[in-house]
Amino acid sequence: MQVTGRKVAVVGMGGAFPTCTGLDDFSEKLFANKSLIRQWDKVAQYGKQIRSTVSGYITEEEMGLEAVIAPIAEDYPETYIDKLGRIPDANLATADMGSIWAMLGAQDATKMAGWSKSEIESEQTGVVVGSGGAGNLILRIAWHHFFQEGRKARIAGSHTIDRTMFYRDAANISCLLKTKGVCEAIGSACATGLGNIGYAYRLIKFGMQDRVIAGGVEGSSVETFVGFDGMMVLSKGFTPEESSRPFDLNRNGFVCSFGAGIVALEEYEMAKARGANILGVIDEYFNNSDGDGDMFYPSFAGQQRMWKGLLNTRGVKPDVVKVHGTSTPAGDAIELLSVVDALGDSGYHISAPKSQFGHMLGGAGSVEFITALLMLENQKVLPCLNSSTLNPELETFQKAEGWAGPQNPLAAYRHLVPQESFAKEINSVACLNYGFGGTNSAISVSRDI
Amino acid sequence: MERQEIIDGLVEILKTVRTIDPERLKNVTEETDFRGDLNTPSTELINIAAKAEHKFGIEFEDDDIDDLGSTVKDIVDLILKVKARG
Repeated sequence: MQVTGRKVAVVGMGGAFPTCTGLDDFSEKLFANKSLIRQWDKVAQYGKQIRSTVSGYITEEEMGLEAVIAPIAEDYPETYIDKLGRIPDANLATADMGSIWAMLGAQDATKMAGWSKSEIESEQTGVVVGSGGAGNLILRIAWHHFFQEGRKARIAGSHTIDRTMFYRDAANISCLLKTKGVCEAIGSACATGLGNIGYAYRLIKFGMQDRVIAGGVEGSSVETFVGFDGMMVLSKGFTPEESSRPFDLNRNGFVCSFGAGIVALEEYEMAKARGANILGVIDEYFNNSDGDGDMFYPSFAGQQRMWKGLLNTRGVKPDVVKVHGTSTPAGDAIELLSVVDALGDSGYHISAPKSQFGHMLGGAGSVEFITALLMLENQKVLPCLNSSTLNPELETFQKAEGWAGPQNPLAAYRHLVPQESFAKEINSVACLNYGFGGTNSAISVSRDI
Repeated sequence: MERQEIIDGLVEILKTVRTIDPERLKNVTEETDFRGDLNTPSTELINIAAKAEHKFGIEFEDDDIDDLGSTVKDIVDLILKVKARG
């Protein structure tokens, strides 16, 4: 049950962002309408084995890290060296690349929050951070040496489990910071990042924790990329910066990207009492499932119910809707029409950050939540790059019998979808993310006024 | 293979374990205890054993590792025993 009067503030943020030196660089590039997507040589080297070669990836070097390759198992990064001395070796030993990003993001977020050592190490401080995939790079090489090479299990070392287990990011953050509260990971595919923040919000709102470090991560992984490439759902045929094009008529898939977004949440009155800089106040979190038995195809009805749940208690229209907007043919059309169905066709704008950095999978929801905080801070709407042409014709599903959604083609809503960043008063942003399995997540976050 | 040669090889392995303080590796003897003297995390001991197999061209039996003590002498003895076993 919610505790009456208890609110949740966002007081810190950090993470790992493609091509960026940090949060400030990330913010600057986003509002300058830049794309963070590049040709990824690490996948392009596979030639005809691979269909798509663009990604918002992050290298070890860009994060100030260096892999230590095991002398006994070819290509196996047995640990990493933090060349900037931020993470102790003992913590690096138990982490895959994504977990290291999570720890770095947590350090930045808690520093920004201004939490004291005793506050961080309190029983009232939890960690809720998840990933979309496992530690795929670590697993692939460990399994290869066992199954294909017929070598002893111990050849891959004793850290295969802690570096690949599902809640490795939360566990590594908790071990690094010595938090004593809840430590868990919520998994909901591409809604993971937002789902973890939503769950953390509930822990505070329901009176179970005072502070929670929350977010999502997806470490750069050719293995993960290959999985989606095999589904033939990745963008193909455009230059890197034009590859992610949510809502555009010619979109043909998403850009598989990687990153981490970590936020520090705190009970609002406690944050106010200590004079914290409040980046946003979470108004509501709502999540549900499509319930139509379809693992992949998005559901208009499911999203309608999601909107009803999000707006039910407040009825306040957001100034910006930060959409999931993947650049896939089916997903974008249904999402735009469900937004219009819920909010009408005026009074707000749509922002699609994946157009700038691609789809960070388990990290998407939390990194995009950070973009919502940046929009509140900067009072500027982030764009939907490459949404050059919206379909002037009705979508096929709009012509089907029983369609009860908006009757206009996507092009009728051009005015809602900016192609460049612009300034306007933003008091509230709705953040939406969906995932395989028909999961739908939505958070409303507002300025503290 | 001489015992000191094995110890030198073990120290080279230990230098690759980043969770061991390099300062503690300056005076490694047969009596040095991996846990007590070098503060080696228990999870790293199996990595050290695997690297020793690789470096000295041998393969331990699982029971050998299960029964292995925590001093440098213990692993030197084991390496010589396995080498003698052929």
